[in-house]
Formats: sequence, structure tokens, C-alpha cells
Amino acid sequence: MAKKPAKPDPIKTAATRIRRAAASGKPCKPIRDLIKKGDLDAAYAIQQANTDIWIKEGRRPVGRKVGLTAKSVQAQLGVDQPDFGILYADMEVVDSDEVDPSRLMQPKVEGEIALVLDDDLVDDQLTLVDLIDSVAYALPAIEIVGSRIANWDITILDTIADNASSGLYVLGTRPVGLHEIDLRMCGMVMENKGDQVSIGAGAACLGNPLNAALWLARKMVDVGMPLLAGDTIMTGALGPMAPVNPGDVIEVRISGLGSVRAVFGQ
Amino acid sequence: MANINAMAKIVDDAARAGKAIPQLSAKHDYTLEEAYAVQSAAFRRRLARGEKQAGMKMGFTSRAKMVQMGLEDLVWGRLSDEMLVEDGDEITFDKYVHPRAEPELAFLLKKPLEGPVTAAEALAAVEAIAPAIEIIDSRYKNFKFSLEDVVADNSSSSGFVLGAWNKPDIDISNLGMLLEVNGRPVQIGSSAAILGHPVRSLAHAARLATQAGESLEAGWVVMAGGATAAHALSPGDYVRNMVEELGFVGFSVSS
Repeated sequence: MAKKPAKPDPIKTAATRIRRAAASGKPCKPIRDLIKKGDLDAAYAIQQANTDIWIKEGRRPVGRKVGLTAKSVQAQLGVDQPDFGILYADMEVVDSDEVDPSRLMQPKVEGEIALVLDDDLVDDQLTLVDLIDSVAYALPAIEIVGSRIANWDITILDTIADNASSGLYVLGTRPVGLHEIDLRMCGMVMENKGDQVSIGAGAACLGNPLNAALWLARKMVDVGMPLLAGDTIMTGALGPMAPVNPGDVIEVRISGLGSVRAVFGQ
Repeated sequence: MANINAMAKIVDDAARAGKAIPQLSAKHDYTLEEAYAVQSAAFRRRLARGEKQAGMKMGFTSRAKMVQMGLEDLVWGRLSDEMLVEDGDEITFDKYVHPRAEPELAFLLKKPLEGPVTAAEALAAVEAIAPAIEIIDSRYKNFKFSLEDVVADNSSSSGFVLGAWNKPDIDISNLGMLLEVNGRPVQIGSSAAILGHPVRSLAHAARLATQAGESLEAGWVVMAGGATAAHALSPGDYVRNMVEELGFVGFSVSS
């Protein structure tokens, strides 16, 4: 009797689909049909499969991003928790530099606060004080999110599998200590060539960007890849996501933190 | 020819009774200029009852607000001393038609301002800046109106709450603003939403008052306009506007 062909591993299939879309720049179909409805663990397993491959290929992980930090976005996707993705060194764009459109997939922009750690967060039962003690400084940031899934047709499963819809990120260059800024109350305004396109404040990110960072730190301990000294955390949007097109000039100003810019090439 | 005084009585009576009325534009054909004349006449009825003018309010100063209302023009209204709600006080829900709260900043003037003025001249006339909440309450059914209707109805102004006054040496261009109801944020924004910088709203207030043959007076309060969309109030709500650097202001709604 002939042997039945081995059933393809759905995790591998989904991971390959996303990796190919990322490499080719051609968006793919959603991956949600490959795993069980609501199976967040499977979605993270897909993300992890690509993380393993990308690191083997030489990409350097430099931190994490927290996504779905706005109550309204969580409601849209029918979840009650944020998600995370990996930041790689090759995702960085320096302040004011031109962003090459070939590096983008269906980009949108968000104004955020980045936190940089100078201590490991490896303990069980991490507290807010552990986190505050471990933050070296904050920076204003622009996250340029993207999706490998065609037309952003995503559910929570698709975005988690797709490295939390991460794209590129731009950091401001003046480090500010936590004692100098009111992370909950700080105002955020994002302009595109001088027109306001997104407005918010620190509280829009899970009530306080530190809440998002603490959720992340605990989650990372749970999944066995804790945050370490030197890691950058993109904590989540302070206002609505805005569309972006070639030729646009995005500037984010955060009260107490200064500003950061991204220039989108034609 | 619009009957200014008849329309003024309709909106004034509706405001006093807290009763919804049909849009004036349903029965009357009137211009924006005539709408301001109605507002002025309705406010004179308040003055005749012993109220005093306490200042001016600006409306539709944020993009969020314009989108919410489907309008694009800046509008203004008049504040009377009777409309002031003390910080921490309770308002009686039944006195309003369908009240909403907007997080704002307020300017206290130390000298008169006549427009047109530059932003620098406007700022030089400011004695102090406070976190503030405007209680807006359109007297029209379902909060639906034309631009002329809202202007005639004192630009929906019905109450204002002022927090502690701060010296005007704070950079107010991008202060985080949080409208909280019962301890939960319901609107999150920044003072940048007020025309890019709230002092521009004050300069516009001076210009518009002067166009109407009036001027902003020393001691007046100018409400700069909402930094976010307005939030509909319910009985029992405890409402607070927290502003980065400036502090907070709040009131409660009777249950």
C-alpha cells in the first residue's frame, strides 16, 4: 500500500506565505484560513517560525513593538489584549532621512514613544518599578507599519503572524529620562507637510505607554525571550494611524520629547 | 426679511426651558449675518434679565469637530456669568436638552483686544490660561442644524467650567488633553487640535468680535474651542478635563 503523503504543516505554510510576500514585495492572501479560529498561539508560532529563519539568515533583532494598544483598534479586531512583533536593525530609518519606497508594503504611519532599556527584564512577576528602573531613556518615534497581507485584510491572527504588521521605524535623537516627561499626559501631533493628520496623547496607548511596555515585558518572560539591556521598545500609537504616500513628509512632535521626521521618496 | 426678534425669542425660550425645538431654518430663510443678529438679540434678552457678559466662545476650531458637525466655518458665541459652572459643582441634567462636554482651554484677558490682531498681540493680552470644559447643548432636536441655526443658537453654548489659572508663560502648542468620564478617558487629544495653536483661536475671536462691532474686554474669558469631539453626558457622570502642565477641571451631572 502506498504511503499517504505527509500533510503540510500549516504553520510552515503560513510562515512561508508571509516570508515570500516580504521578500518579493507582493502582498499575499490572509493566513487565517490555515489555523483554527481564535488560535493566537498558532499565530505566534507562525511569527516565531519566521523569526527563527530570519535570525538564521542574519537579521539582527534589536527590540519589540507593541501593537493594538488603542481600545478602539482592539474593539475593531475583537480582542482585549495588545500584540507584539520583533524589531530588526534593518527596519531602522534615521531621523529626516528619505525612506526608499521599495522598503515599504502598504505603509501607514503612527506617532509613538520608544523606550530603550539599560537592564534586563528577566524576572517572573515583573512590576512597574522593575520596568521604570530598567528604562534608560525615551525617544519620540514614527512607526511606519505595513502589511504583507493584501489590502490590509487582517484579523488578529493575520497581524500576529505577520510580525504585528511591522514595517520600519524612525527614532528622534535626543534621549529624555522618564523623570522629565509625563508619559500619560504628553500631547502628540503628527503632520504631513504641515497639515495635522493625527493628534493624541500618551494615554491613548493603553492608558500610558508604560502599561504597554509592562504588558510586553511580562509576555516576553512568559514566552521565554525576555527583554534585555539595549532593547528598543516601540510602545504603540498615541493617535490614529494615518495613510502615507510617496512624496509625503511626516513629522511627529511629542510634548516633552521633541520631534522626529520621515521623508517618503517618490 | 427674517424676523430677528421672533427667532431670538424662540432660541432664548428653548435655552431657558431646556426644551428641544425644530431647526429655525425649517421655517425661516435667513443668512449667516442674520443668524448672528438673532444670537445678539437673544443674548440681549439675557442681559435684560440681569445677566452679564463674561466673554466669548469659539466653535469648530478643531478638525475633529468640523468633521463631527459636517461644517467648515469657524463660529463664535457669547458667554454670560449665568453660564459659569463652578469647578467641582453639579449640573442639573434636566435643565439641558442633550448636553455634551468638550475639553478646552480658556484665556483670561488683562486688556481689551480689538481685531485684527497677530498671535503675538493676542498672547500679550492674556493674563492667565486655565483648563476648561464647555458644556454645549444645541437646542435643536437631535443636535441637527444648519450653520445659520447653530450660530443663532449661540453656537450651542450653554455652560463653561474653569479650572485653576496658570501664568501664560507655558508653551500651550501641544498639551495632552484627556476628557474623562467616571475615571475613564472618553476623548484623548492635544491642544494642537485647536487651530494648530490655541492662541490663534484668541486672535480669531478678536477679529470676529471687531467685525461684529464689539471688542473683547479686560476680565473676559475666551473659550478657545474643543480639542476633541464632544462627549454626550448622562445623568450621574463625573466629568473631568486633564490638561498636561495646566492641571484639571471637573463637574458632575445630577443623577
